[in-house]
Amino acid sequence: MHLILNGKPWQVECEPGDMLLGLLEREGLTAARATCGIGVCGACTVLLDGVPVTGCITLAGQVAGREVTTAEALGGSDPVQRAFATAQAFQCGWCTPGFVLAARALLEENPDPSDAEIAEALGGNLCRCGSYVKIAEAVRIAARELAA
Amino acid sequence: MIGVDPRVSGTQRYSVHVERPGMLHAAFVRSPHAHARVLAVDASGLPADCVALLPEDVADLGRYGCQARDQRVLADVARHAGDIVAAVAAPTAAAARAAARSVDVTYEELPAVFDAVEAVAPGAPLLHPDAAESAGEAVSIGVRPLTGTNVCHRFRIRHGDAAAGFADADVIVSRAFRTPGAAHAPMEPHAALAEWEDGRLTLWTGTQTPFNTRADVAGAFGLRPDDVRVVAPPMGGSFGAKTFVRLEALVAALARKAGRPVKATLDRAEEFLCLNRHPATIRVRVGAKRDGTLVAKELDCWVDTGAYADCGPGVATKMGYAGVGPYRIPHVRVDALAIYTNLPPNGAYRGYGAMQSVWASERTMDALAEELGMSPLELRRRNLLRDGDVFATGEVMHDVHFEECLDAAARAVGYAEDPRGAGLCVLLKGMQTPSRAAVRIERNPVGYVVRSASCEMGQGVRASIRLMAAELLGCEPGQVEVPDPDTDTSPFDTRTTSSRSTHMMGRALAVAVRDLRANGGEHGFGEVVNEGGLDPDTGQGIASTHWHQGAASARVSVDEETGKLTVERLHGVAYAGRVVDRAGAELQNEGSMIMGLGTALFEELDFDDGQVANANLSDYNLPAPGDLPAGFTHELLESEGAEAHGLGETVLPPVPAAIGNALASLGLDVRELPLTPERVLEAVDRR
Repeated sequence: MHLILNGKPWQVECEPGDMLLGLLEREGLTAARATCGIGVCGACTVLLDGVPVTGCITLAGQVAGREVTTAEALGGSDPVQRAFATAQAFQCGWCTPGFVLAARALLEENPDPSDAEIAEALGGNLCRCGSYVKIAEAVRIAARELAA
Repeated sequence: MIGVDPRVSGTQRYSVHVERPGMLHAAFVRSPHAHARVLAVDASGLPADCVALLPEDVADLGRYGCQARDQRVLADVARHAGDIVAAVAAPTAAAARAAARSVDVTYEELPAVFDAVEAVAPGAPLLHPDAAESAGEAVSIGVRPLTGTNVCHRFRIRHGDAAAGFADADVIVSRAFRTPGAAHAPMEPHAALAEWEDGRLTLWTGTQTPFNTRADVAGAFGLRPDDVRVVAPPMGGSFGAKTFVRLEALVAALARKAGRPVKATLDRAEEFLCLNRHPATIRVRVGAKRDGTLVAKELDCWVDTGAYADCGPGVATKMGYAGVGPYRIPHVRVDALAIYTNLPPNGAYRGYGAMQSVWASERTMDALAEELGMSPLELRRRNLLRDGDVFATGEVMHDVHFEECLDAAARAVGYAEDPRGAGLCVLLKGMQTPSRAAVRIERNPVGYVVRSASCEMGQGVRASIRLMAAELLGCEPGQVEVPDPDTDTSPFDTRTTSSRSTHMMGRALAVAVRDLRANGGEHGFGEVVNEGGLDPDTGQGIASTHWHQGAASARVSVDEETGKLTVERLHGVAYAGRVVDRAGAELQNEGSMIMGLGTALFEELDFDDGQVANANLSDYNLPAPGDLPAGFTHELLESEGAEAHGLGETVLPPVPAAIGNALASLGLDVRELPLTPERVLEAVDRR
């Protein structure tokens, strides 16, 4: 199977039942994290052609020929990542890459989201440490930065 | 600091990411029965590249358990559905799970009990007939099992003469409350890796308790503690779930059998079988004079510790004295029983028993206020402990700030002006006592290395240590390196629990920096020791050398057609003394309140004949971004010259009672958590 992974062509062997998350783990990528296994917590969020999906319930076969982006591709210098660091919008950090990708997708679609729109757009991501107040602040900071 | 924090960039490595050359992956064979004797285990169908851990492989190993040695590496009697009776190791995790399914176990089913009150009734099935013996071997607290029963610990407070106190009361109110089991649900599951080399065992494990784990695993394997090394990478959340021995003894036994390193990582369903929060039933009786002066209080707690004691005795103890509340009461009787049932084991959970008894005690305070025709705020103010007062444990209170906490909470929701739809709760919670903390400082070419066994689980202890050390050493925080805990190189620390690390390590750092300066500036060592503890039979002694003080307030509305309860405002107050890391402290307050909100509104383990019926994050709901109240605020109270107080848990326990009291102010009296629409509707019907 061929696809684009983090901007580079990638050829990978897979079985019909393989999930995208398992493929990424085998590749040594660790920012998308096996957590709930049923697509409800968002900790394994990746972008598929720019749209957030949960890797644990996306069949590997579904991504053939498409573009997959993981948080590793952002390299730590993305404006949304910088905003999360500025707002200190994380505790243990397990869910943070997923939130960053979901926030990025939100801001591409809606550059000036209201608080309700932020909560709605991030509703598929869970943070058990409960960093939601500062995560919303990070999204507002990123929105301002991207608009400037 | 160069570049963004690894937790933001996604490059942080947790215990699930640890790998060793040649390692195998573990999977567990779990009992489908809640109580059953293992008669035979047949692993003859196992593929050739797999290793099985069978009862005969662990026959030479001793029992373990932090407060009662009641656990075997493999259960010979399964005491809960999901108890581990055999294990396998295979080259991949998937192969290990498939191999585990091929193991055939023959059981003899035994009668089971799933409720703590039923488990102390005559004739209830006994889980640990030898409980007294295993408690006798335990070392950490004075455990008082009741022989021939399922009670693994009885904690009592006898302060004054409760009967005489009630005889003197003008008004007496009595209530019973229940709280359910709940899941910690850390996002990162439990993971542990074991490797043996020349008879020495190394464990890499996500744990809050590296030294307890070392001692307990060493005991089970007949090793000296120095022959076990525990390395604790950062955790993706824990909240009490990753305390004491969880998977470590199992992977060590598997690795010994396989002759290769073995790693185990739980899946989400298994997380619900590993360790949960104690369900509790609590009866409160409180008596007051007509003017609201409290004269007597009785508390009975049935604390369901599940299949194994774990730290249930400690939880029952803290539940017992936290339920007295931050009040001056001359006559107090408390009986708190930690009780075995055939549910998965329950253990430390953010708040450590305080939430359960504070839910009961603070709801009863509002009921008493109503009976007296007094404002609940005024009733509390009249009785709050102040500096120099004597608590029910006999200790004289010091550094007391309950009234400031309560007043701040009341102000935030305009309680005095409009108490209808609003609720309050004030909290007293102790810190692990006795305990000991040590830290070592080493000069390096760019700054300092600070070694301690304080474990990072998202609570920000590394940041706190870095900031405190930099302030004391007169350097930049970026010059201070804080390595992961490693029992080979980190000095001893009791454990990373009970919101103690910033407080204890801050004090140990001050000693270490003095030592460094007095000895040439290259090395410094500092240790602090807190003496104390309570007599389990009388509850007298030193419960805590340092009090966690907090309050919460809520304003709610109810749709009486659907039973939907909306929390419009939620405010939390923690006494911080001195804030070390502002953003970190805010995150701890907010996180505690959000966890408290989940406890109040929807978190509940649903058991069906001992099976967890909602063991996934779709049926077990965690608070999501959209669940935050429209008004969600908090405060960190400080005072001039104060020491840093722990605050990692303080505003969780008061949240459910504040919301419950707000609901009760509308005439809707719900005494069982969570406050689901069904329970609210039943209360509407009762009113």
